[in-house]
Amino acid sequence: MKEFAYFPGCSLEKLAISYHTSTLETSKKLGVKLQELEDWNCCGSTTYFHIDELLAYTLTARNLAIAEKTGLDVVAPCSACFKNMFFTAAHMKEDPDLAEHINFALEEDGLNFSGNTKVRHLLEMFAQDVGPDEIRSKVTRPLEGVKVAPYYGCQILRPRKDHEEVENPRYFEDLLSAIGATPIEYALKMRCCGGSLIISSRIAALSMVRNLLQCAVDQGADMIATACPMCQVNLECYQQSVNQEFGTQFAVPILYFTQLMGLALGIPKKKLGIGKELVSASPVLAAL
Amino acid sequence: MSETYTFTFMKEVSSLLHAADGNPFPMCVQCGTCSGSCPVAAYMDYTPRQIIAMVNAGLKDQVMESNTFWYCASCYQCTVRCPQDISITELMYALQRYSIWKNRYKEGMIGPAFSEAFAKTIVRTGRTFEPILAPSYIFSFKMREFFQEIQNATELMLKGRLPILPPRIKRLDNFKRMIRRILPMGGAE
Amino acid sequence: MAKRLLIIDDDPDYVAGIKAILDKAGFEVEVANDPKAGLRALQTRPYDLLLLDIMMGRGAEGVMIARKLRKDTKLREMPVLIITGMREQIAFLFPGEPIHPGFVKLDELVEKPVEPSLLLEKVNGLLQAAEERKAVPQ
Repeated sequence: MKEFAYFPGCSLEKLAISYHTSTLETSKKLGVKLQELEDWNCCGSTTYFHIDELLAYTLTARNLAIAEKTGLDVVAPCSACFKNMFFTAAHMKEDPDLAEHINFALEEDGLNFSGNTKVRHLLEMFAQDVGPDEIRSKVTRPLEGVKVAPYYGCQILRPRKDHEEVENPRYFEDLLSAIGATPIEYALKMRCCGGSLIISSRIAALSMVRNLLQCAVDQGADMIATACPMCQVNLECYQQSVNQEFGTQFAVPILYFTQLMGLALGIPKKKLGIGKELVSASPVLAAL
Repeated sequence: MSETYTFTFMKEVSSLLHAADGNPFPMCVQCGTCSGSCPVAAYMDYTPRQIIAMVNAGLKDQVMESNTFWYCASCYQCTVRCPQDISITELMYALQRYSIWKNRYKEGMIGPAFSEAFAKTIVRTGRTFEPILAPSYIFSFKMREFFQEIQNATELMLKGRLPILPPRIKRLDNFKRMIRRILPMGGAE
Repeated sequence: MAKRLLIIDDDPDYVAGIKAILDKAGFEVEVANDPKAGLRALQTRPYDLLLLDIMMGRGAEGVMIARKLRKDTKLREMPVLIITGMREQIAFLFPGEPIHPGFVKLDELVEKPVEPSLLLEKVNGLLQAAEERKAVPQ
């Protein structure tokens, strides 16, 4: 049985609560054990790096150290958390001075990070570590006929970790095919949703959301699947603002990929947090 | 004999970078792949390529007065495509730090206030808490945007997706002492 | 012989100012404008005193340098004058709270901007204290 340490991150506590519950339900069904980090702290997202990078690394290193104590690799469902954890671990490994300084600070909480914990994104964990074949074998209610736009977003893929494909990855599509859905091809699957620009540059962010929705709809998407709470909120909560701003009429449900997996695995909708979305997925899912 | 150091704006900014060990600015060939890849370029005062050229030319005031680095969404598209392997996103972070430390930014920018409010919440509680962040930006919104935000918040609240009480971590005292080992402020070590 | 001082600070305007004051007072002054160059300089030749900014580069990188010095048997006796604009830079995180010195064995802290007379007083005081320590066999 596969087992991982699990760092939910702040958004999954409330704003993206359905991502959290659907992750736990889906993992259980697939026989993956997730052990939530005890007493984790906020990773600082992207904004903390504007203030003090050393502290930003330290915040993330605390979570890494807590994960390391479990002896398991750690998985993060939020792309920003994932990026921060992945690169903090990498920087500490390549810069012993940095690691030493941060570990000196971690001592205050009785912690130490030696750099052995591997960091995975939840999507990578399901799509690559568990794998489409394993998932397909457990599907009881394939999502036949549902056209889903896989939305990778940014920080799962970028910056590049190694030599992996960053211009046209396919693992999200493969995962969607495994649960019986039809992944659609569209050009903006890795284009930025705007992230926190919705706060600092609203019109830019809204137009980015608009372009994404338009591109997915043009290719016939019934819904968009995301793998990051920030993407989900931008694409969903600001759809109405986009409509007001640009005179469009989007009503595209934005679900977490774990919710779709859960449905295909036969988990009841309520347990997956379906119904908590602002743009209802019921019309699309009713056809199933 | 003492070495002579000429400070240039380019050097100042490059010393704020770490991942790129050294000074990446002279490496830029001005190909514009970054600007072409940037999803926000159309809304920036200067594109990423222009900002790099301006830093190289020492145009500190114009760079600081621009919205470019505050409009960077950290999507790293420029970074993975740069043929010279310049981490342009990190460069934008460096400019943001420079701007916050020097307290110099274009008038009306929401980014700096938001970053500060965000950082404060983490330092105090170990967690973020969305409702406490809202005042850092919502009052600078125009009426229509303001009501869009309120409408969003209300809907999210009805769906049980907004936190009511600020979360905090359990070992907060340790956490605060940890922070003091990095940023030596507040109380004795 | 003139005392040799090293300034590690990434703020050119500020460095130009204090270097001029110290030059005029007869010190031999060298400058490193980033933490990495500063560490290299310290490892290459001896200095009588270091003037260290603590907010540079990635953030509080000067603190990282100070910690390294404290652990270095050779460098640990060198007096350090911490000069910092931290209050302006990130004090919003800790409103009303003091910056605490004590990074190295022998240090003092002044905040930017520094009065020329205060700067010279602190520099001379630290140099003198270091001399006295050297004179007393441990």
